[in-house]
Amino acid sequence: MIRFRRGRVVASALAVLAVGVGSACSAPGGSSNSSASTSGPIKMAVVNAQSGQLSSLGAWEYKGAKLAVDQWNANGGINGRKIQLDVFDDTGDPTTGTNLARKIASEGYVAMIGTAESAVTVAMAPVLQQAKIPSITSGQSPSITAVKSPFQFLNGPTSTTYDETLAKYLVDQKNLKNIAFISNNGSYGKGEHDAFGKALADRGIKPVDDQVVTTDQKDFSAALTSIRQKNPQVLFVGTEEVEAGLIVKQARELGLSATVAGAAPMGTTVYLQTAGAANAEGTVVSSPYLSNDTSDASRSFAQAYKAAYNEEAELHGAKSFDGTNIFLTAMKNSNAATGQALADAIRSTKYPGLLGTFTFDETGVGIHATSIGVITSGKLIATATS
Amino acid sequence: MQVFLQTLVGGLSFGAVYALVAMGFSIVYRTMGLVNFAHGQVVMVGAYAASTFYMSSRLPFVLAIIVAMVVTGLIALVMERVLRPLENKDFDLMLIGTIGFGVVLESLATIIWGATGRAVPTPVGSQPLDVFGVRIRTYSLVVLGIAAVATVLLLLFLQRTKRGAAMQAVAMDHEAATAVGIHVGRSNAIAFAIGAGLAALAGGLVGPLLYVSPTLGGTLGIKGFAAAILGGFGNITGAIVGGLAIGILDSFAAGWFQGYSDLVVFLVFTVIVMVKPTGLFGERTVTRA
Repeated sequence: MIRFRRGRVVASALAVLAVGVGSACSAPGGSSNSSASTSGPIKMAVVNAQSGQLSSLGAWEYKGAKLAVDQWNANGGINGRKIQLDVFDDTGDPTTGTNLARKIASEGYVAMIGTAESAVTVAMAPVLQQAKIPSITSGQSPSITAVKSPFQFLNGPTSTTYDETLAKYLVDQKNLKNIAFISNNGSYGKGEHDAFGKALADRGIKPVDDQVVTTDQKDFSAALTSIRQKNPQVLFVGTEEVEAGLIVKQARELGLSATVAGAAPMGTTVYLQTAGAANAEGTVVSSPYLSNDTSDASRSFAQAYKAAYNEEAELHGAKSFDGTNIFLTAMKNSNAATGQALADAIRSTKYPGLLGTFTFDETGVGIHATSIGVITSGKLIATATS
Repeated sequence: MQVFLQTLVGGLSFGAVYALVAMGFSIVYRTMGLVNFAHGQVVMVGAYAASTFYMSSRLPFVLAIIVAMVVTGLIALVMERVLRPLENKDFDLMLIGTIGFGVVLESLATIIWGATGRAVPTPVGSQPLDVFGVRIRTYSLVVLGIAAVATVLLLLFLQRTKRGAAMQAVAMDHEAATAVGIHVGRSNAIAFAIGAGLAALAGGLVGPLLYVSPTLGGTLGIKGFAAAILGGFGNITGAIVGGLAIGILDSFAAGWFQGYSDLVVFLVFTVIVMVKPTGLFGERTVTRA
C-alpha cells in the first residue's frame, strides 16, 4: 500500500517536473514578444539573496532599489511608462544565480540590480552579457572587473580602492606599521585580504600575523590568541558584518587592544551591535557612504527610507538606490533604450549619487574613492584625511 | 601553551551548546527512532523567542529562556501531532516531514523577525576572568553551568522517574510497551517536547555568543547532529561527550588549518565514525527505523 502511494508521489513529482521543463523550453520562444517591450511597463529585476546567510544584504538591496523605483513611478515613470520591479532570490548561490540570469533574459527584463555577492555576480555576468542585459552589482571583488563584460557595472568601488584608502590613512598618515590580518576564505574576504595585502606590500610592509578563518566559524580563540602574542598596533578584519562583529567582540574579551580597521561592513549597525558599542569603539572604516548626514541628498534619502521601512538607511540600501537611479536616468536619457544602447547610455551617465559622483570607466566601476570614518561614541564619524 | 589553553577554553563553551543540541537529537531518536531534521530550526526559533522575551519584554535572561522553552515545546507538540499518523508506519515520510517543518520554521522566522537578524547583549559582566594569562569569559561559565544542570536533570528524569522509564521502554519495544499500558503517542510527544526544550535552551544560550538570524539553525543543527553521531546516536552521555569533542576539535582545527578547518573537522569525524560506526558510546538498543 505504502509502495503504491510512494509510486504515485514519484509519478506526480515527475509530472510536475515535466510541466516545469516544458514551460522552460517554451520560454525562449515566448520571448519573441520583445517587441511588446516598447510599450507597457519597463521590467527591471532585483536578483539578491532573500533567504540564507546573506539575506540581510539582499533585503537592504531590495529596499534601496524599490525606494528609487517608487519615487520614479510617483513622478510618472519614464516617458509615461511605469517601471515594474521584480525580486528574485539567488540564496547567495552562484548556481542559482546563473539559472536566474537565464530566467530574466527569457522573460524580457531590460536591466538587473544585483547582486550584493561578488561570486554570484561573476557567475551571472557571462549569461547577462550574451543576453545584452546591463546589470549593476554591489559586489566589490576585483574579480568582477576581471570578467570584462561591457554590460557589468559596479555601484561602488572595488576592494582595491577601499583598502588603498585604508592603507593611506593607517600607514602614511598615522604611521602604524605593525598590522595583523584576519580574513575569511569567502570571495569577499579573499578580495579584501589580497587588496589590503597589496596596498601594504606597495609600502614595503608585511603583516605580522595573517590568519584566515572560514565563513561560518564561530570561535576565533586560536587565531586571536596567536595575533595577541604578536602585539600588533592594528587588527585588519576582512570579513562580512556579523563575522567581523563576533571577531572584534572576542578579540576584546581576549584582551587584544589593537585598533580595528576594515572596509564597508564595519560601518554598519549590524557590525556595531554584534561587536557591542564599547568593543567597536575606535574602529577605522573605509567606506564611500559614512553616514546619513553628510549631504542634503543623503539626508532626504535617509528620511524617505525611514518613512518607507521604519529603519535607518545604510550603505547597501544607498548603493542600490544609486544604482537603480543611474539605470533609470540612463533609460530616460536614451528614450528607453535596451541592450547595447542602454549599456552605452549608462556608461556615459554622470550621476551625483549618495556615494559620490558616478563616472564609469572602461571596467564598469563608477566610484573611485572612499572616505575614512572612525566609530566614536557608537557612531561613524568622518575623519579628515591628508 | 597559552594558545593551547585559550583554544581549549574557546572550544568548550561552544562545545556545551553543541552538546545541548545533540541531546535534543538523541532523545527524540532514542524514543521514536526518528531523526528530527527540523531540530536546528527549532534551536533558531528558541534563540529568537528567548532574545525577544529578554530584549523586548525585558524578562530576566534565565526566565526568558524558560519561556522560550515552553514556546518551542508547544511547537514540538504540534509537530508530533502532525507526524503521528505516520508513526511506526513510514519513517521515510516522517523524515521528509521533519525537513519540511524545518523549512516552514525558517520561513516563518523570516516573516516574523525579518531577514537581518539581531545581536543579543551578554547578560553578565563583560570583563573576562584572567587565569594565568588565559582569558575566560564569565558568560562561558554561565553556559557551561546551565548546560551541566540541564544534563543532570534530564538524566535524573530518564533514570529515576516512572515516566522516564516508560519512555525508555517505548524506545526498546513499542509493542511490548503498548501491551503493558504505556501510551506510545504520549511518550513520543513528551520526547519531542523535551527535545525542543533543549533546543530552545541551546538557542537561548548561544544568542549572546553569536548573532541570532534565520539561518542560525543550519550551522548549529549540522554540528549538533555530527556531535550526536560521534557520541553514539541516542545515547545522552554520548551526546555530551560528542558535543564537547566537536567544539574542541573545531577550535583546534581553526588554529592549525585556518581556512580549511571545516574540511578537517569533518574528515576527522568521518575517520572516527568509520573506525567505530556506532559512535563513541554507541549501543544497539534503538533499531526501530
